[in-house]
Amino acid sequence: MSIAFDQRDPLKRRYRRFGTLLAGLVYAFLLVPSLIVIPVSFGTQHEIRFPPREFSVELYRIFFSSTAWTGPLLQSLKVALIATVVALLTAVPAAYGIVRYEFRGKRAITLLMMSPLVIPAIVMALGLYLYFSYVRVTGTTLALVLGHTIYVTPFVIVMIAAGVQKLDPNLEFGATLMGAGRYRMFTSVVLPQLAPSILAGGLFAFLISFDEVVISWFLASATTTTLPVKMYSSIQWEISPVIAAVSTMLTVLSFVICMLTAALQRPGTPGQ
Amino acid sequence: MSGVENSRAAAAYVSPAAIVSLVIAAVPLLFILFTSVDGRGLSPEAFENLLSSTLFRRSLYTTIEISVSASLISLVLGYAVALHLARQSPRRRALYMVLVLLPFWTSILVKSYAFTVILGREGVINSLLSWVSGSHIALPMILNRFGVMVGMTNYLTPFIVFPVLASLLAIDPALYRAADIMSARPMRIFFTITLPLSLPGVMAGVSSVIVMSLGFFIIPALLGGRQDVMLANLVDFYTRETLDWNMAAAIGVLLLAMVVLLSAPALWIRRNRLVGST
Repeated sequence: MSIAFDQRDPLKRRYRRFGTLLAGLVYAFLLVPSLIVIPVSFGTQHEIRFPPREFSVELYRIFFSSTAWTGPLLQSLKVALIATVVALLTAVPAAYGIVRYEFRGKRAITLLMMSPLVIPAIVMALGLYLYFSYVRVTGTTLALVLGHTIYVTPFVIVMIAAGVQKLDPNLEFGATLMGAGRYRMFTSVVLPQLAPSILAGGLFAFLISFDEVVISWFLASATTTTLPVKMYSSIQWEISPVIAAVSTMLTVLSFVICMLTAALQRPGTPGQ
Repeated sequence: MSGVENSRAAAAYVSPAAIVSLVIAAVPLLFILFTSVDGRGLSPEAFENLLSSTLFRRSLYTTIEISVSASLISLVLGYAVALHLARQSPRRRALYMVLVLLPFWTSILVKSYAFTVILGREGVINSLLSWVSGSHIALPMILNRFGVMVGMTNYLTPFIVFPVLASLLAIDPALYRAADIMSARPMRIFFTITLPLSLPGVMAGVSSVIVMSLGFFIIPALLGGRQDVMLANLVDFYTRETLDWNMAAAIGVLLLAMVVLLSAPALWIRRNRLVGST
């Protein structure tokens, strides 16, 4: 009905067209930086140019044949993988406990666990740096893993909690009535049902950790540098065209993980 | 189930994450507090030095100025997108949503690099302008305030879109039909229905975006100039360049205090709801 009104009212049509135009410009503004790195990455190493004069995969070849880049890549993969597993191990039961139980100090404990979501990364990074310097672990992979674990945990808790809220508590109650202990009930009733949320949460955590710069910038040493830290210093000092290849791979990774998590969360509330 | 059993079960589930948070999140924060007052010395010296330092005062001012203006521009851009998304059918909305989600998930480093390619002296825009005008044009668009603002609004806009869209979708369509029947003009409808009813989303979006931008580090470091040092960059400077950890920690404490003060109202409103928009 309102559409019929719109078609007849030129003023409304004009406003709508203006709104669509404005939104289109903003979409372009948001997307261009993610997309422009793709053509640039197929240029040559002698110039950063859009569009490139000749197409080649030279930049990718340089990336994969130089340990200065593959070392940080492997380090990032390692840190992100371990941090994701550790975060899942603690966050999955925590999310379940928070949704299903009322207990004393719940608000304070939840706030504590969620705090890395609100605290600026620079403040977390400084705190971890001072703390880890005191116990002498800065510059180690352990320091990076711990820093990333605490950083990604709240994201995982939020996603798993959303999954728990969709579960039917009667199944858990039933299992308990049938004599299943807490551990048995959790592993054979709750976890299988949560599998999609756990997978989505894990992918999220992996991507967040893989992309994380600020904490790694403070905690990594020359031998434990992650890919984003290497990128950060490269953009700051030399702007090597290889970064275009790295950026393209990162964008593809983000896109794949974003699509996968969206697909995993499909049965439920749409979008964000 | 008895209360004791209940809290024992809750403890079994929650304690591993709580212990990790205590050891790796709470303790580091205590270290910052401790360092800012020079350990057992309990001296306010670092804070006094900060307040009398022109470098600190200038970057505090820069931080507030950039945060507020980047948030307001992001609000306008994000609102336009949210309005557009709200008007689409659910299917098309999901499709358009990808246009916001992909940039949302793109690494901040990728974006910063992309902006050096687009806005740089020999970048895409300058080349295009030179080609069109036939003369060599090299507008300075990075390593200055303009670069920081472009980078930050690009990063922050999606964080406005999500909460505002949620608010817009919650508005009862009957209100629009009623206004239409009463022959209200589009502007009138926007200012009397759409905008007021989407204010909760606007507030949520703006407060989270301001809180985020106060701690921005990468974008001012890569796209800003010497005049655009924000507090986070100053923390980095004191920690790694001058090794003055007390000063760095004092800035950390102030930054934390600002964030807590700004996000307290938002936390208060949804203190019982764990799930927010991430």
